[in-house]
Amino acid sequence: MELISGKHPLIIVVGSGGVGKTTLAASLGVVSAREGRDTLVMTFDPSMRLKQTLGVGEEARLREMPVAFDAPGKLHASLLDARLTFDRLIERYAPDEESRRRVLGNRFYQHLSGTLGGILEYMAVERLFEVASDGRYGQVVLDTPPTRQALDFLEAPKRIVGFLDSGALRVALKPWFDDEGRLKAASKWGILGRRAERFLDEVVGMDLLRDMAEFFQAFGPLYEGFRDRALEVGELLRSKQTLFVLVTGPGEERIPDTLFFARKLEEAGYNLGPIVVNRVHPMFLVEGTPPASGDPCRPTGWELLTWAGQRDRRGLVELAKLLSREQPLVDLPLLPDEPTDLPSLEAMGRQLEGRLAEWERYVSRSS
Amino acid sequence: MNPIEQISRRQLLVVTGKGGVGKTVVAATLGRALAASGRRTLVVEVDPRENLHQMMGTPPSGGDIMAAEPRLWVQNLKPQQVLDQIVREQLKLELLTRRVLDSPIYQQFAVGAPGLKELAILGHTYRLLHGLGGPGTPEIDTVILDAPATGHGVALLAAPALVSEVITNGPFARMAKDLATLIDDPERCGVVVVTQAEEMPVEEALELRTALQQRVRRDPELLVINGLYPPAPPAADPGAKENELVSLWRRRRLLNERELSRLKESWQGPRVELPQLPLDRGPELLGILGRCFAESARGL
Repeated sequence: MELISGKHPLIIVVGSGGVGKTTLAASLGVVSAREGRDTLVMTFDPSMRLKQTLGVGEEARLREMPVAFDAPGKLHASLLDARLTFDRLIERYAPDEESRRRVLGNRFYQHLSGTLGGILEYMAVERLFEVASDGRYGQVVLDTPPTRQALDFLEAPKRIVGFLDSGALRVALKPWFDDEGRLKAASKWGILGRRAERFLDEVVGMDLLRDMAEFFQAFGPLYEGFRDRALEVGELLRSKQTLFVLVTGPGEERIPDTLFFARKLEEAGYNLGPIVVNRVHPMFLVEGTPPASGDPCRPTGWELLTWAGQRDRRGLVELAKLLSREQPLVDLPLLPDEPTDLPSLEAMGRQLEGRLAEWERYVSRSS
Repeated sequence: MNPIEQISRRQLLVVTGKGGVGKTVVAATLGRALAASGRRTLVVEVDPRENLHQMMGTPPSGGDIMAAEPRLWVQNLKPQQVLDQIVREQLKLELLTRRVLDSPIYQQFAVGAPGLKELAILGHTYRLLHGLGGPGTPEIDTVILDAPATGHGVALLAAPALVSEVITNGPFARMAKDLATLIDDPERCGVVVVTQAEEMPVEEALELRTALQQRVRRDPELLVINGLYPPAPPAADPGAKENELVSLWRRRRLLNERELSRLKESWQGPRVELPQLPLDRGPELLGILGRCFAESARGL
């Protein structure tokens, strides 16, 4: 498996929340720098201690920060902040001060909950594209937002293009309102128009519509460039050089989720690399029955950990059965402590490398 | 009064927390406890992947309200369907409805308009609580909302106020206003935060509390700390080789204890602790967890 050998300048780590994506992304970055590549780890929401290890503070939201790591390749880290990127984009592209103020001050923009045609997700991809194309890094590792938002995130460029081509924007950009904030059509169409206006006002409220129309008009000039850019970003994500690593947790109840995610990625034409089952309880051999407490609310560690070890093993076997034989699948054990410092991150990355090599040997032997 | 008795008087309980901490199992446990105490309770799950039915041992809901136990119902809710339904009721004409629902503008609007999906979820619970659920729907005293992960949970509670700000009249505006009043009323609405005693979930739980205070001026009513490893036996002599199982057990428990004491220091308000149990998801797990919950809550 050429996961950490630099054949994939962009590695994207995906998976649902709470499975250790961020830690794994950081560990891949550490190993990559150790092997001599200038590396950037882009993450959304690292833990406090991981932030301290990487030495990223608020400033990492604005630029890539060097990590104090003594290795042949330079290691950098940055935090993705979609909202900030969006604000900055508007600052940059607004033709004048007045239109800048109009967008930033628009209520619709301020409350934009993050999904209008995937614009906010798109902003994060936009930043990724910037660093991926400027050639400063031999390796970029991207940690994605938790849960299925990651899929929204990946589909953001496509949805932006879809939105631009749907005609919705053209409609939204029409001058709907006159200077007094009344619907133009209403005066043109006489009584029918006034009824339409009253109807709209009752259903969604005229204020919201005015805010939306104003937002699109102020934002309109930015859209054209967006379309080309979004297509390019989509291409980057689907390139053979971009590798997806799917991280999941152990246990049978995670399997449907993992399969769903893997299928979605492949259907959408992304290059899915290994599936990593993280935090797998080790199998412990306990002679006889594990010492029990007799109180169902107070199981002993013996009961719990032997049960969890078996459950996780069962889950792994089940998952392996459901995946194609060509699909790399490896597991990483639950560690006594979460890796947060650089040496333990490096150890984790090395362990993953080792597990992947084992998987390859196993597959080539059995074929 | 015991905080559990207190929350069982609420009409709406929002259960929220970081992804993967066990919100659904806690929502189901609360649901059973409330139903057992006599409240007619509906547990609503907002997640396209249905999990709740597995836990309860009921058939998948597919969007319908399903009876699970005496006085207990479950439902998997799809916000988009609720929104479409509102459009249908407003427009009444089938042809016009189809045109609206199919138009790219509506589709962009429904996904993107701030707070609309959240409002749809809350609006649905509001109608059920007021007996407006339509023919065949049960009468409900309490709705427990298994809310989407953290950030979205705050967005959910902030939605009515936000919508009343941008939409000033019409049916959405009226519903938003009623909902904002419901959420503002600590007698009728409560928030339950679920976490695990690990660094990231605790971090998020603390951030969530701040966000709730700032955006909806509410304190969570209860913190549920889920999935604790059992207390470990005293450490072996230094230098002696310890059994690997015991060593993993002790270190994971230590991690739990570190976060428990952080919560003790920084979380004001009642906390319930739930153990990790050697059982798969399902009715048996819920049964025992219910007992553990009651036991831990008695100590409050």
